[in-house]
Amino acid sequence: MSISLPTYTRREMPLLGRRHRLRAIIVTGLRREFKRPAVIVSTLLGVALIVIISTAILLFAGLFLPGQALDLSFFFVPASNQTVLFFITLMASLVGSALIADDLNSMALTLYLSRPITHADYLVAKAAILAPLISLIAVLPLVLTPFVAALLGLFSWTIALQAIGLAVLLGSLFTAFYTSVTLLLSSLTHRKSYAAAGIFAVTFGLTIPAEILSISISNPALLYASPWEDYLAVARAAFGAPGGQIDWPWALVILLAATLVAASLTYLRMKAVEVVAG
Amino acid sequence: MFGEVRAVDDLSVAIPEGAIGLVGPNGAGKTTFLRLLLGLVRPTTGTAKVLGHNIAEGVPVRERIGYMPEHDCLIPDMTGVGLVTFMGRVSGLDADTAISRAHDVLQFVGVEEERYRKIAEYSTGMKQKIKLAQAMVHDPQLYIFDEPTTGLDPRGRTEMLDLVRVIANSPGRNVVLSSHLLPDVETICKYIVILDGGHQIAAGELRQLLSGSADRLRIDVRGDREAFAQRLRETGLEAEATPTGVHVARKPGVEGVIFEIAKALGAEVRYMGREIRSLEEFFLELVERNEAAVSV
Repeated sequence: MSISLPTYTRREMPLLGRRHRLRAIIVTGLRREFKRPAVIVSTLLGVALIVIISTAILLFAGLFLPGQALDLSFFFVPASNQTVLFFITLMASLVGSALIADDLNSMALTLYLSRPITHADYLVAKAAILAPLISLIAVLPLVLTPFVAALLGLFSWTIALQAIGLAVLLGSLFTAFYTSVTLLLSSLTHRKSYAAAGIFAVTFGLTIPAEILSISISNPALLYASPWEDYLAVARAAFGAPGGQIDWPWALVILLAATLVAASLTYLRMKAVEVVAG
Repeated sequence: MFGEVRAVDDLSVAIPEGAIGLVGPNGAGKTTFLRLLLGLVRPTTGTAKVLGHNIAEGVPVRERIGYMPEHDCLIPDMTGVGLVTFMGRVSGLDADTAISRAHDVLQFVGVEEERYRKIAEYSTGMKQKIKLAQAMVHDPQLYIFDEPTTGLDPRGRTEMLDLVRVIANSPGRNVVLSSHLLPDVETICKYIVILDGGHQIAAGELRQLLSGSADRLRIDVRGDREAFAQRLRETGLEAEATPTGVHVARKPGVEGVIFEIAKALGAEVRYMGREIRSLEEFFLELVERNEAAVSV
């Protein structure tokens, strides 16, 4: 007698690559953020306010800005609107402060890093959640303004497209800076409120004293300490607007260096976190 | 090596397929060993391979591992099914497979309707089950369970051990169970690695390690064990009283001598037979021996 039984081999589940894994973290992260009323309200309010202010300046330029030339340099005005700074800071503190701090607090970092991703993948995914939300404030309104201006026939499309390109570059620079610094602050604490306070401290704690002190002791070099003033120096140079007390190349170097240093420190901090604790 | 501290040293072990228990006192190096297995730290010297992959590779190793952490690590504002699906996708499953596998594993672990509730509302037992489900979702070849029964009531503990046993008995699936609860390890694992002070102090098949020498008898005596052992020694036998009983070297006629002494001392012999230790007894014996060796 001969009995033969079928043999079964277990089929291993095919796993998709790293890019897919990162996309999963980013998409899930963005979905979670857009379910939070605070994020929705601040995004809508931020974009709407900046666009309204920029459009009003555009329509009533003669009234608000007598003598302002209607060329590329005009677009420095909406780019230097302090509402941009306030809403970027608000967005970074609302979203970014929790991105790593919450994972540290709930220890969900263990779940992430026991998966087939690296520390760098994790940080890139977190940055990719925060950056689009900050860029909604830092880039979108500044792109919309020249676009509307061209549609209304107030500016030529050549100038408008130039302004759009510069707005994307400048907005991306500021987005990168805030994303990097925010993630660093978020990685340093288990409490998102501390990280949020840190973001406001970095923004206004540097900007306001730098502006006051630079005037009171007549030393404009102090303005380099303010990320906002550095951004304004670069924006002024990009749009060809007159004035400014600090050199844009140094301001640009400071912004880029701060972004890179913060990103490197965040990476080192994440590597130092003990994911599997005994 | 962490700074000047050598967390795990001189560890050379080839772990076979199946269920492996990892035990050791606090600070023994179990956590570091798990970190090594997960490819989260690299050995300063030597090499290690997990399922044929060098641990230095990291990502390919973790693709094949399902890790269930000891501590609470779930994302509280996600639903059970949402988290397990998400973890499946982060492991590399496509969206459809991830959601289908999430439902399968949640059913397997016994999280039914509750899967749509937020994790923040779950009991400890349910959280443990979600932790198990997220480790299973991508159907890994190696499962690492770090104290899987922590915080569970007796019923929850039994359920969890049953689930771990089913996984351990699945063909092609391997389990590393790290636990302080030695009876848990004893019931699940066939193989064991015991660490102490960063060193491996024993490794091997559990049954072999626990069955002592055939040349010795263990006597469980109700009464004064030390006096009993002393009387045995007076008759020329090699005897030792330990917390687990009186151990005596086998010789022809030794059983008769034992019963005579018991009668004389009014002691009750409750067990007499080959030395078979529980894992707890074996573990304590090894750790005491290791501490004594270190102090010398």
